[in-house]
Amino acid sequence: MKPPSEEHDLIRWLDGEMDETERAAFEARIKANPALAQEAEEMRALSAGIRAHLPAEMAVPHADFFNSQIQVRIGQMEIDEARRREAVAPVLGSLLSWLRQSWLTAAGAVAVAVVAFLSLRPSSEDAHSLILSSYTPSAGVQTVTFHDDNADATVLMLDGLEEVPADRKISGISISRSETEPEMASTTLFDAAGSPQLVIFRDAAGNPQFWASKPRG
Amino acid sequence: MPASAATDLGEVSDIDLVKRSQAGDTRAFDMLVTKYRGRIYAMTYHLIQNETEAWDLAQEAFIKAWRALPNFKLDAGFYTWLYRIAHNVTYDWLRKRKIQGDGEFDDERTEHRVAAGAEATPKGDPAPDMALRNAELGHRIQAAIAKLSPEHRQVIVLREVEGLAYEEIAALVPCSLGTVMSRLFYARKKLQEQLKDVYETTL
Repeated sequence: MKPPSEEHDLIRWLDGEMDETERAAFEARIKANPALAQEAEEMRALSAGIRAHLPAEMAVPHADFFNSQIQVRIGQMEIDEARRREAVAPVLGSLLSWLRQSWLTAAGAVAVAVVAFLSLRPSSEDAHSLILSSYTPSAGVQTVTFHDDNADATVLMLDGLEEVPADRKISGISISRSETEPEMASTTLFDAAGSPQLVIFRDAAGNPQFWASKPRG
Repeated sequence: MPASAATDLGEVSDIDLVKRSQAGDTRAFDMLVTKYRGRIYAMTYHLIQNETEAWDLAQEAFIKAWRALPNFKLDAGFYTWLYRIAHNVTYDWLRKRKIQGDGEFDDERTEHRVAAGAEATPKGDPAPDMALRNAELGHRIQAAIAKLSPEHRQVIVLREVEGLAYEEIAALVPCSLGTVMSRLFYARKKLQEQLKDVYETTL
């Protein structure tokens, strides 16, 4: 095996990456070394063959279809984006206004409890979730969790919040985790009638996504 | 593509087409696609050696370019920018294939593969049909390139087909200049080994 510098010199000469001085010196070496001369000539022939048989431009099969498919996909992307903006804007607006209510600020932003799900372990005996710890930003708010056998659900109670007005469009929050994909969690906000208004979740690639219901006319 | 639009391609500059595309003009972008699809497809095809997947990857490159157009600065060449996107799309595909254990290519994956038993023209036997012999040589070269590792195939295509300088290849891959030179050297040595019989008759 040749030392790297010799290999590099050969291909730099072949590819025209040498300056005049280097090139003259290397060509003098080629003249004095028949084996190097043969290798250089073989590589040059190979390089010429590759260039001759690998075109830089090729006819695209079904070229019109190629273009039209791109246009279709661009059109679909734009429709999806418009729908997303249309669906999200009103609900997010109402959610933000809900979060800006005076009762909320007066309570020192304790209305939202952050619950850390350190572990949700389905038991073989009873399949309810086990919440190991929880956290609320205000000491005045306490969280209590328990499993309701009748509802077959884990209940999270926030004690100490000011009363949320009953006419708020969004009146409930639930957090769920997929049983088949443990890393897949979602948060759902419900209106007073129990209909989901906003769902926040991660897609299969782990990117945050949200789904919002269409605003009621 | 209507004939009139094709005629427009040579008359409208990339900058104009890019500006119109950035403003949401999909017809202008369609003209850019028509102008560069052959070069982008050739690059993806040479790297992938599979017509269908190269077609899909070339299309994906244009879709990504459309999405990224708002961030494209007009002071750079559009084709250079597009080429980088297409290269990244293709090389990501190659990397995923490698991770999944399909990294090395074989003759079965080469659509323009050489017919079974096809060898170079025997020594001293004058080729009766130069065009046929030339086509056969082209197939041999493509098959040999298909057998290279993705890293070696990448530098060969960038250098021999696209004519990029070492520094441009190093920036695109990305890797050091020394790595570019080493990969080029060993890629050519492997091609030489595979095509030895061809070049014994050619030289």
